[in-house]
Amino acid sequence: MIRALIATLVLALPAAAQDFSEGSEASSWNLSAEKPAKFEARVVDILCELSGDCPENCGDGARQLGLVRAADDVLVFPNKNGQPAFTGAAVELLPFCGTDVVVDGLLIDDPDLGARNIYLVQTITPAEGGETVKADRWTKVWADENPDAGGKGPWFRRDPRIIGQIEEEGWFGLGAQADQTAFDELYR
Amino acid sequence: MLRLAIVGMVLAGMASAQGGERVQVSGEIIDTWCYFSGVMGGPDAVVGSAHHTCALWCSAGGIPVGLLAADGTVYMVMKIEGSADSAGGDTQLNLASHVITADGLLYERDGLNYLIVEKVVSDQDIQVRNHLDYGAVPGFAIPDSAIEQ
Repeated sequence: MIRALIATLVLALPAAAQDFSEGSEASSWNLSAEKPAKFEARVVDILCELSGDCPENCGDGARQLGLVRAADDVLVFPNKNGQPAFTGAAVELLPFCGTDVVVDGLLIDDPDLGARNIYLVQTITPAEGGETVKADRWTKVWADENPDAGGKGPWFRRDPRIIGQIEEEGWFGLGAQADQTAFDELYR
Repeated sequence: MLRLAIVGMVLAGMASAQGGERVQVSGEIIDTWCYFSGVMGGPDAVVGSAHHTCALWCSAGGIPVGLLAADGTVYMVMKIEGSADSAGGDTQLNLASHVITADGLLYERDGLNYLIVEKVVSDQDIQVRNHLDYGAVPGFAIPDSAIEQ
């Protein structure tokens, strides 16, 4: 038992400093702290992983999902999917809840900001083999769930909840009068 | 000695996974992707009123929110008062850019702080009023049609 633990620790130490860029085909977003990273991991419900609160199917898309990296057991937090559209990663990873996958994307480590093991996922492949999918289905899922969202433009201009928030509190969140004062000063 | 150290590490890990540490922290509910990545600019520009519309977009878009404390510590918010809908839920959307004081459980893993908010002790609305310094961040957040009205 002790020997196994020692072996695990010894293996984990080099993995902590491991470069996961080998084999990555991730596209750059020109972020100052980004590093391409391709690795195998298990898709987990982060709240379940931390606290033992574990609903069926990782919470059906309502919860943030994580990636427990096979090489070192590090919990990587995918904050972002592959779309440049203000969209997260949980929707992309949900079909793979509880399974092992190989992900490719960008790892963000910026100690000055407290960013550790933050990830932008671009592609997902089942670890046992199979089709590689792009992590870009968020906007399609939103469109399917919001068939009555009218108007033109991207989803964030048409989302009923966002429109409601801005109508109630203004673009700067400080009310309509603050908006008008700022528009006069900044833009008119 | 080594055996004791290893056993201690294992036990510490088990304790952390089960309980969490009771904490009370105050700070702004932020959009963690914009803050961590720098994609929209420096950390002072992606908080507060200047970034409010973008914070709404990202929260509704399922990007995780965090609580940014005055000392710069970021707590990834996993649950707020019974709502575990941390990927786009209404509770976190309603708190976008607000400064709150939260009582809850803190978990630390692999360099990140995770917070389960059991009670929002106070909600102080938006406190960082930086929109006149930075304008809207990003610049296209407010459409021309809104400004021309």
